[in-house]
Amino acid sequence: MGPVLTVLRKDLLLAWRNRSGWASAAAFATIAVLTYSFAFDLATGDVRPLLPGVLWTTFLFAGVFAAGQSFQDEVEDGTFDAMLVAPVPATAIFAGKLAANLIALLIIEFAQLLLATILFDVGLFTPELLGIVVIGTVGYVSLTTLLSTMGGHVRGRSVLLPVLVLPLLVPLLIGAVRATGAALGLESGTAPWMLLLGVFTLWSTLASVLLFPVAVER
Amino acid sequence: MTEVAAEPAVYAAGLTRQYGGVTVVRGVDLALPAGSKTALLGANGAGKTTLLNMLSTLITPTRGQVRIAGQKPGTAALRRAIGVLGHKPMLYEDLSPLENLRFFARLYEVQDADARIEELLRRVGLWLRRHERTAILSRGYHQRLALARVLVHRPAVVIADEPETGLDPEGVALLDELALAAPGLTVLAATHRIDHLPAWATGVVRLERGRVAEDTSSIALPGEVTAAGPRGVVAP
Repeated sequence: MGPVLTVLRKDLLLAWRNRSGWASAAAFATIAVLTYSFAFDLATGDVRPLLPGVLWTTFLFAGVFAAGQSFQDEVEDGTFDAMLVAPVPATAIFAGKLAANLIALLIIEFAQLLLATILFDVGLFTPELLGIVVIGTVGYVSLTTLLSTMGGHVRGRSVLLPVLVLPLLVPLLIGAVRATGAALGLESGTAPWMLLLGVFTLWSTLASVLLFPVAVER
Repeated sequence: MTEVAAEPAVYAAGLTRQYGGVTVVRGVDLALPAGSKTALLGANGAGKTTLLNMLSTLITPTRGQVRIAGQKPGTAALRRAIGVLGHKPMLYEDLSPLENLRFFARLYEVQDADARIEELLRRVGLWLRRHERTAILSRGYHQRLALARVLVHRPAVVIADEPETGLDPEGVALLDELALAAPGLTVLAATHRIDHLPAWATGVVRLERGRVAEDTSSIALPGEVTAAGPRGVVAP
């Protein structure tokens, strides 16, 4: 656990010191939720059926943007190479970066849940819903962390990452939106969608951990 | 090739790297003895950086073998044995010099990390600025801090790519004292100085179009036939 915690602590410290990437992601997510709340007629219509889609598209775009930004600095400064030549397993580096991205994104997401609770007048802080958010976030952060690494040495990586990652996340998006809808009482039974979400998250996390050492090999 | 030794500090046999159909480094053999100081010379595009990246395990050879301090690639022991000083300082701009060195000391599990970090920061003249953000340091101080990063885990071999870049004369002297000319440390450093040999160099390896054109640093290994002809490949 030593190297994982070392990388995690360093990444969180850097995220706090150089907030541009994460602050941009948080600002984007906030603006998106606010815009959706203005776009939908909150006074007259029942907008609750739209809420799961609003939340998860916002989460995904914010997460893809932030993951790409955080890794770009490592590549440009050569610090990623400095970690790769250290006597640390590549999987430990991946786990540390994954954990840091996960913590930072969960903070952004919980802030958006609070904002949506106020704007859409829906109780979102239920254990079931928080569980769906955490599981879904682990699933997509695993993939975005891996793919941001793979695109790290490619020109135009800021465009490449969303193009690569978003099609792969379609099953997760469907599972997360439907599970969130069921948790809000908009449709019956969260079980099948939780199963899809859980299986996808398990697959994406395992695949990312196993592929990371191959992805960073040049 | 002037002497025979069993265990070179830097060993390469038939090292080759291709990118697509282009061969950048072709069949490089090296056997640099422990404590030797080798200047890696060659024109731009000769393959110096690719060779150094293969020796430091940053890129995988298409063919050939590498041993550093007798250790195989992919092992933690090999990575502990080398310090890599690249084109970039490889530092976190938003961390302080102290935080940068602490981070790398933890990755390398340096036992007496605090004492070692203080010693190095004092030697490179950054002790009084240890809490400032690295981003505000000059290019020269970046290079000095990079030098401290490379040495924090006491490597046996330093692999450097034009390490004098950006350093003032005082910084170059410090680089020579702490790394390039330090007793006991094996050094392989690419240098752009082709008009004269650096003072620290005990031998040279010159690359031309990815091949070794001159090697006054390598030692003959047991089983090698001749120092004048092509060297045999004998795994140490």
